[in-house]
Amino acid sequence: MTPIRSLPALAEHVRALGTRTRIAVAAAEDPNTITSIARAVSEGFAEAILLGAKERIEQVCALAGIDPARFQIIDLGPDSDVSGEAVRLVRSGEADVLMKGLVGTDKFLKAVLNKEKGLLPPKAVMSYVCALELPKYRKLLFISDTAVLPYPDLEQKVAMLNYSVQMARRFGIDQPKVALITASEKVTAGLPNTFDHALIAKMAQRGQIKNCVVDGPLDVFLACDPAAGGIKGVSTPIAGEADILIFPSLEAANAFYKGLMLFAGGELAGLIQGTLKPVVVMSRSESAASKYYSVALSCLMAGEK
Amino acid sequence: MQITKLDQMFEILKPRPNKRLVAAWAVDAHTICAVHQAVEMDLVEGILVGDEKLIKRVCEAEKIDPSSFRIVHSASDTAAAAKAVAMINAGEGDFLMKGLLSTDRYMKAILNKERGLMENGAILSHVTVAEIPTYHKLLVFGDVAIIPLPDLAQKVAITNYLIRTAHFLGIAKPKVGIQAASEQTLPKIPSCADGALIAKMAQRGQIKGASVEGPLGFDLIVDEESARIKGVQSEVCGDADCILFPNIEAGNCFYKSVVKLMKGELCAIVMGARVPCVLTSRGDSERSKLYSIALAALLAGAGQQ
Repeated sequence: MTPIRSLPALAEHVRALGTRTRIAVAAAEDPNTITSIARAVSEGFAEAILLGAKERIEQVCALAGIDPARFQIIDLGPDSDVSGEAVRLVRSGEADVLMKGLVGTDKFLKAVLNKEKGLLPPKAVMSYVCALELPKYRKLLFISDTAVLPYPDLEQKVAMLNYSVQMARRFGIDQPKVALITASEKVTAGLPNTFDHALIAKMAQRGQIKNCVVDGPLDVFLACDPAAGGIKGVSTPIAGEADILIFPSLEAANAFYKGLMLFAGGELAGLIQGTLKPVVVMSRSESAASKYYSVALSCLMAGEK
Repeated sequence: MQITKLDQMFEILKPRPNKRLVAAWAVDAHTICAVHQAVEMDLVEGILVGDEKLIKRVCEAEKIDPSSFRIVHSASDTAAAAKAVAMINAGEGDFLMKGLLSTDRYMKAILNKERGLMENGAILSHVTVAEIPTYHKLLVFGDVAIIPLPDLAQKVAITNYLIRTAHFLGIAKPKVGIQAASEQTLPKIPSCADGALIAKMAQRGQIKGASVEGPLGFDLIVDEESARIKGVQSEVCGDADCILFPNIEAGNCFYKSVVKLMKGELCAIVMGARVPCVLTSRGDSERSKLYSIALAALLAGAGQQ
């Protein structure tokens, strides 16, 4: 397939698939969530199952000028476990994607992580991958982990890397270039993440990580600026053309993407990784466009591989 | 000139001005004969520090002319070691050799904080050069005698000593294999993890003047076919000039097999002090002692750090 190089191209691709992905929304009585899901439904690539207080959901629809008859609504009272019920729908195959609405992230993830009834396989690492579209970068940039793992250890970083590679490959990037980011490209005890990153790069070189080109430690310049290698005298197969950046901490990744959203006009789509089915968790401060693109991303990832 | 036989060290040394060997407590036939042979071959000047009467008695018994040496009288082994080290520090000698005193006392004199031969923070290590009939070049390796379980910083220091020694043997860009339990990057196995880190450091220019690959199983270091079977591509495999061993047991076992099983010859020096130090044991052959003196002479006068 031709690689998907932008978020509008992602939406276009998902529309062209001609399949409707069934999305279960936990606590859907949220205007932002309903607006973004309605757009996906009207564009024909999603069906929505909205769980929550039916009356309230219909009020929100009315205010937004959306016909609630386009959704399947499951009426749940204030005392019911709305997240658990949404997870159950996905687990049983009645829905393909889980999405968080107006419910606390903690409560929502608790249902996802439930050992018997949740969506995370035993021992799987749960992580988060974003696809960033940036006006000044030639391609989409996948980054991890902006939301779930605060200080990933080596094994978790390898999981983050593999999730990002799987996602990039669904975008048609067969051999994504992965840069393991720290503040320096040198291996130094003063920056312990440089040790992890050197080890992961060598694991990839030895074929222990597949379907990608990996180097690290690297800084963001060496990862994303083709001129940086020459200036610094560093030869790396990434050569300023990274498709994927793996960050050493949630703080670094979070500050990186929020800075780009705010100052560089970036847009994103993000998804929880490691679960049996795609899980969309967006914070309320995310733009409606980002929510819509995240829904599109979940539909891409839910589809046949 | 890149040398492939230990004998060739003599050819390099002969046209050069002779270095001054200072032998500490050189009162036994083993030491005096080895120094005498090197003097006779016009490789070095010999300075024997020890009991003058004892030295002359040995010379008489061995039919050696005592005037072929400079003899510096010293009444005991510890005094002789201190005197020999003091002469080096005073610029009266170019490298040190151990005589009949114990290795402990010899090392104590070298390591003495005020009057020894160590710069602040320097790492003392043992480097061996072996000529093995079934291998196509000399092998430089360490540490088989001094550091039992080197940490990463010590391994980097040892690697640099191996590279430096190879350079003095005329090998412009030595190939260094870092031996480990497996060629896989297994982060929990220290030899594998350190091997990956040191290889990356070399790739980033933090270790210079060599091509470094690790982690590698021993077979991959010395046999290209094994590397091909395991799918490891590196110019080091099957053509290594240097081997970094992960611990003293691995190194020592190989060192002893060179002589006992492979019919090889070897020589060794201690590096990391201000001058090279010869540390032969009575079990070494006469030839091996002569080679060790030649190797020390080759490296002497260039500074150690």
